Amino acid sequence: MTDANAPLVEARTLGRNFPTRHGLLGRAQDVWAVRDVSLTVAKGETVGIVGESGCGKSTLGRMMMGLDSPTKGSMSFDGRDLSSLSSAEMRKLSRRMQMVFQDPFGSLDPRRTIGAQIADGLRTHNIVPGSEVKAEVARLLEQVGLPTSAAERRPHEFSGGQRQRIAVARALSTRPDFIVADEPVSALDVSIQAQVVNLLMDLRRDLDLAMLFISHDLHVVRHLCNRIVVMYLGRIVEEGPAEKVFGTPSHPYTRALLAATPSLHPRDPSEGDKVLKGELPSPANPPSGCPFRTRCPLAEEACAKGVPPLSPVGDGWRAACIKAAPVAEGVPA
Amino acid sequence: MKASTRKLILPGTIVALIIATVILAPVLPLQDTRGMDIPHRFAGPSAAHWLGQDEFGRDVLSRLIWGGRASLFIAVGSAVLAAIAGTALGLLGGYFRGAVELFTVRAAEIILCLPPLLLALLVVTILGAGTWPLILALTILYTPNYARVVYAATQQVRGLDFVTAQRAMGTHPLKILVRTILPNVLPPLLVQMSLVVASAMVIESGLSFLGLGVVPPTPSWGLMIRAARGAMEVAPLLLVWPSLALAGTILTFNLLCDRLQSALDPRAVTAGGALWLRPRSREAKKPVTPVAAPAEAPLLEISDMSIAVHDMELVRRVSLTVRPGETVALVGESGSGKTLTGLAMTGLLPDTLRVTGGSAVYTTRDGTAVDLAKLDEEGIRKLRGDEISMVFQDAAASLNPVLRIGDQLGEAIQAHHQISGEALQKRILDLLRHVGIPDPERRHRAYPHELSGGQRQRAMIALAVANNPRLLIADEPTTALDPTIQAQILQLFAQLKKDTPGMGMIFVTHDLAVVAEIADRVTVMYAGEVVEEGPVAEVFARPRHPYTAALISSVPESGAERLTAIPGTVPSPRNMPTGCRFAPRCGFATAECESRSPKAEHPAADRVTRCFRWENVT
Repeated sequence: MTDANAPLVEARTLGRNFPTRHGLLGRAQDVWAVRDVSLTVAKGETVGIVGESGCGKSTLGRMMMGLDSPTKGSMSFDGRDLSSLSSAEMRKLSRRMQMVFQDPFGSLDPRRTIGAQIADGLRTHNIVPGSEVKAEVARLLEQVGLPTSAAERRPHEFSGGQRQRIAVARALSTRPDFIVADEPVSALDVSIQAQVVNLLMDLRRDLDLAMLFISHDLHVVRHLCNRIVVMYLGRIVEEGPAEKVFGTPSHPYTRALLAATPSLHPRDPSEGDKVLKGELPSPANPPSGCPFRTRCPLAEEACAKGVPPLSPVGDGWRAACIKAAPVAEGVPA
Repeated sequence: MKASTRKLILPGTIVALIIATVILAPVLPLQDTRGMDIPHRFAGPSAAHWLGQDEFGRDVLSRLIWGGRASLFIAVGSAVLAAIAGTALGLLGGYFRGAVELFTVRAAEIILCLPPLLLALLVVTILGAGTWPLILALTILYTPNYARVVYAATQQVRGLDFVTAQRAMGTHPLKILVRTILPNVLPPLLVQMSLVVASAMVIESGLSFLGLGVVPPTPSWGLMIRAARGAMEVAPLLLVWPSLALAGTILTFNLLCDRLQSALDPRAVTAGGALWLRPRSREAKKPVTPVAAPAEAPLLEISDMSIAVHDMELVRRVSLTVRPGETVALVGESGSGKTLTGLAMTGLLPDTLRVTGGSAVYTTRDGTAVDLAKLDEEGIRKLRGDEISMVFQDAAASLNPVLRIGDQLGEAIQAHHQISGEALQKRILDLLRHVGIPDPERRHRAYPHELSGGQRQRAMIALAVANNPRLLIADEPTTALDPTIQAQILQLFAQLKKDTPGMGMIFVTHDLAVVAEIADRVTVMYAGEVVEEGPVAEVFARPRHPYTAALISSVPESGAERLTAIPGTVPSPRNMPTGCRFAPRCGFATAECESRSPKAEHPAADRVTRCFRWENVT
C-alpha cells in the first residue's frame, strides 16, 4: 500500500437484496438486508458494528469478506474491486481477509484435528514450507494461549472459549490484514468472554490488524473499538468515534440502545419509560422515510418525507436524523 | 479403546468371516458345486455333506459359499459403485446448486420415476443375463438414492460456519467438498449403504430367481431359493439355508454400518438407551404428608440440596431461600448447575438426574409445607403451573408450534381450574393484554411462528403466570433477545412483580447486569456450588468471594484498559478439585484452599460466602 492513510477495506453504497417469492406465481418481493452502506476500515483500526438482529450487520460482514456479492454498490480491498476478480484471484486474495464466527461449536469441523484445520490455511497459501507447517501450527496455538498439544485433539475436547481461540488461530494462520469477527464473544460466558476480548486486543496491537467487530453487546464494542457504526433496518444510522457515539449519542436509536443495555449500576427506575416501544419493522415492508420513525420518541411528520442522509455531526462523526444532535446520555461509567 | 470402537468388533468379525469365506472359496476343501449325485438327491445333512444335498444331489454347503460369492459380489459391488456415483452427484449438486444441481441430482431423479424391477429387467434384457450387467443395472438403480441423501446432507452442512471458514480461507471448492463436506455427510451415507446392500441382495435374488441374474449352474442365493421352492414339500431345509444366509448377511451389514456410523463420529455419543433399561430414576416416592408451615415461613427454602447423575454430583449442597415478593437471581457460568437447581424445583429434571440429598421446603397457598425434593410426580404436578411455574429461555422451542397461542393458554388454565366458554375466553384475553401483546382479540388466534421473538417470550410468560403462581422460575428468559426487546421483557417482569406482591421469583441468568436490574438478592454459583449470596447492591459493591469479584470485573463496563479475565476453565464434574472448587483459577488461593473445602461464612447477617480468605477479597 502506498498511502498510509488510505483505507484497506472500502465499501461504497453497498446493498444486498434477498428477493422472496410468495407462492409459485407470486411476484418476487424485494427484501433489502443492507441498503446504501458506505464504510471504510483502515489498517490497525477496529470498527464496531452494532445493531439488533435483522439489521443486516452479519450480511454486511459477509459482503466485506467477499463471501456474498452485493446487489448494489462495490467492495474494494487494498484498492482492488472484489467484483472484478476471478474466482482464482479471489481465493488468492482471501489469504488477507479472515473471519471469526459467533458459534464456537459450529465454526470448527468436528471430524478433523485442530492441527489439521489450522494447517489448511498454511498449506493452501503456502505460507511456510511443508516441513515447517507443524512448527507454525504450534506457534499459532501458543499465540492464542493454548498448549501445543492441542493440535492433536478434536474440537469436542475443548470448551467454548478454547474453541474460539482455536478459531482465532485458524484465522491468523494465513497472516491476514483484515479480520471480520461476527459476534465472536456472544456465545461465551462472561469470564471467558474477557479472555477472548483481551486476546483480540493484543492481536490488533501486535499485528496491526484491521478489524470489523460485529456485536450486539454495546459494552464489548465500546471496550474494543475505535470507531462505531450503528445500524438499523439495513442502514447506518450513526457512525463515529467510539467515545463520541457512546458518550454523547446523536441519533435517537443509539440513545435507545444504550438505555436498553442492562448495567451493573442500574439507573433510576423513573427512566424506565425510555424503553423503546414496539419491534423492528419487517425489512420486506420498511416504513416510508426514516426507517426508525415508527419507534422513535422524537418522530414528527417531516420524518416520513424521505430517508434522512448521513450528515456530519462532528469530526468523523455522522448521523442520519433530521434532529441529530449530541446528547449527554452517557453509558453509565 | 473407545466404547464405540469396541462395539465394532462383533459385526466387524462376522463380516470379515463372511468375506474371508467367500473369497477363500476356491482354496477351501469344498466339494464340486456341479458334481451331481442323483441317487442321493434331497439327502439330509450328513458327515460328508454338512448341510445336505439338493435336488441334483449337489453339496449344499459348497453351493451356499460359492453362491454367497456371486450374491455378495453383486450386492456389495453395486452398492459401492452406486455410492461413489451418487455421492459425487449429490455433493456437486448440493454444494454448487443452480445449473449443476439440475444436471446432477435432478437428472438422476428421473431414474426414480421408473419401477426398479422393470429398470433392472430392461438393462438385463439389453445386455444379457450375467454378473456384470446385473451390477450395472443395480448401480443405475441405486445411484439416485445416494444422490438424494448426500444432496440433502450437503445442503445442511454447506451453510455451517466451518465450511464458510474454509471458503473464507480461499480453499478450492473441490477440496472443500472432499476434505470438509464429505466426512460430515458420511453418517447418512453409511445408513443408506447398509440399506442398499440389503436391498441389492434381495433384488439380485429376485432377478436370479426369475432367471435374469446369475446363469445356472453357477450358484447364487437367489437361484438356490428358486430351486428349493420347487421342492419345498420334499426338503424344506433346502429353503432354509440360503434364506438364513441372506437374512443373516443383511442384518450383519446393517449392524456394521450402524456401529461404524457412531464410531466415525468423534463426539462421544452418550446414549441414554431405552427408557425402561435405565436405572429407576427415582426411588418410589411416597406422597408426603403435608405439615402446617410456621407463620412467616419463606416461600421456598432449599437446604443442602444435591443433584447427581449416576455417581457424578452436578449440584452439591445448594441452599437458597425465596421469601414472598422477593426476586432471587441465580447467577453462574454454563455448567454451574444454576439451571438444574431451577428445574429441580418444578420436578422437570432430565430422567437420568435425581435429587440425592437435602430438602426444598415449599409453603403452599393454604399454608402447608411440602418438600419438593421428596414429592412424587402426582403431587408435583398439582403444584406445577398452579403454584410454581417456569419461563424458559427459548420460547420458540417451548411453545407448541401447532396450537394457537390462545388455545395453549386455555389448556394451561383448565389444567388447574374448572372454567370454560366466555369466562375462559375473557381470562385468556386479559392475560395476553397483561403481558403486553398488542391486539389480543386477534393475536390469541396466532400460531407461535406468527409472532416475533419478543411477542413469543411474552406469550410464554402469559402461560407461566396464567394461574397466578406464587413462585415463578425464569431460566435465562431474556438471553436470546435483542437489547431493546430484552429491556421490554425486563420491564414486564418488574411490572408483574408490582402487580402480584406475594409472588416470589427465581431468575436464572449468566448476565450480571441483568441481575443488577431485576433482583433483590443474588446467589452466585460455581461448579455446582453456591459460592456467595446476599443482597444485590451489597454483593456488587463489595463482593466477598474471589469468583464474584472476578466476574464483576470481567464485565467490560468499567472502562479499564484490560479486562480482568479469569484464567482457565470451569472444572468438569468428572474431576472436581478436592478442596475449594475455584482454587485452581483463584488469585487468592493458598495451600489450605487446595486441600480443604471451605465452609459457609457470614460476613454480615444476611450474607454468605464460601471462602477461607473472604476478608482479603475486597
